[in-house]
Amino acid sequence: MLFGRKNRIVIDYALCGDGKGVDPRECSRCLRVCVPAVFLLHQTLGAREENPFDPQKWRVTPLWPSLCTRCMACVEACPVGAIRVCER
Amino acid sequence: MCELCMKHGAGGRWYLNARHYSNEIAERYNLRDFLLEQYKNFEQISVRPVYGFTAEGLDYRLKIPIIGRLIKSMAERMLHSTRPPVNPFRAEGHIGQVVPLEDGIAILEECAAEPIIEKNCMCRYMSRGVKEACCINFGVMSEIVDRLPRFIPEKEKYFLTRKEAVERFTRHNRKGYIGTIWFGPFPYINNLCSCENPECAGIRPRFDFGIMSVYKAEYVVAINTGQCTGCGACVQRCPFGALKIDVSSKTVSVDYEKCYGCGVCRHVCGSGALSLAARDDVPEVRGKY
Repeated sequence: MLFGRKNRIVIDYALCGDGKGVDPRECSRCLRVCVPAVFLLHQTLGAREENPFDPQKWRVTPLWPSLCTRCMACVEACPVGAIRVCER
Repeated sequence: MCELCMKHGAGGRWYLNARHYSNEIAERYNLRDFLLEQYKNFEQISVRPVYGFTAEGLDYRLKIPIIGRLIKSMAERMLHSTRPPVNPFRAEGHIGQVVPLEDGIAILEECAAEPIIEKNCMCRYMSRGVKEACCINFGVMSEIVDRLPRFIPEKEKYFLTRKEAVERFTRHNRKGYIGTIWFGPFPYINNLCSCENPECAGIRPRFDFGIMSVYKAEYVVAINTGQCTGCGACVQRCPFGALKIDVSSKTVSVDYEKCYGCGVCRHVCGSGALSLAARDDVPEVRGKY
């Protein structure tokens, strides 16, 4: 590949976040175990909340995959198995 | 002195220029509405597309030749913007600098506009899911934070007197948190943070990707080798990996290029061997912020 191998981190939002699965604000295990802090906990983009002062729809995005060491700590820590880490 | 001091310091350091803290500036740019809009949906800011780019996967794009440089310069232009702030959904004019404990105290004692508030750090919340009260806000920003329940610490008192703010900042700094001061947005200063690497969203672009999102401090660490016992505590403490110990000779050395001048290493030194020197007095890093 032109620019070398890339890490690919996929989160299944049917199992975690978006107001459907586990609430990542309550769990946040992946966030805490990740040494380089690759993940970002944030409000779902475009979510129009009834009360903007207390948004409810949150998800975790793997924001900086290039810093991932593929230690798989997040995969092991996730209680619902929503994270997949691979190469592409 | 760094670029920001040259332009906005009025002869001194930019962050000790009390004008930037004044309510008058906040009023002139209507920052009450701007900041409320920004902080209502603050946690979306990192994933919102800017000029067609979202931050997700941006790290790999930064490594592409030419395109990576273009993205970097666009990001820097946004962060360093000195135009009147218009878009609350971008980090426009959000540029900061590392400050050691002494300068942080000077800011709190002499410049910071009241009311002073200590809110939950959003960076740590977004990167670790933890709520830790260690982010000190001033003036108009404090009023806004007071309206947003998720930023308000549950246990601690959060409206602080100047003296209390100094105590809290000192406590965080001694713990190893890096003091940083921010324009948010330019020309209004309202944030004195106690950051950590890699949690801080402002330090990360600089440290990991070389984007000028935060300037290094006006200082670098100086080691008095005669006093150093070679215990290595400072090496462990340094958040930027700038200190190195030579085990056989028991001497600590500093990589000036890596030192951000935060001064937190000094707090763990039992022999008083570490101090801060003015960055511009050290030829290797003069003018390199």
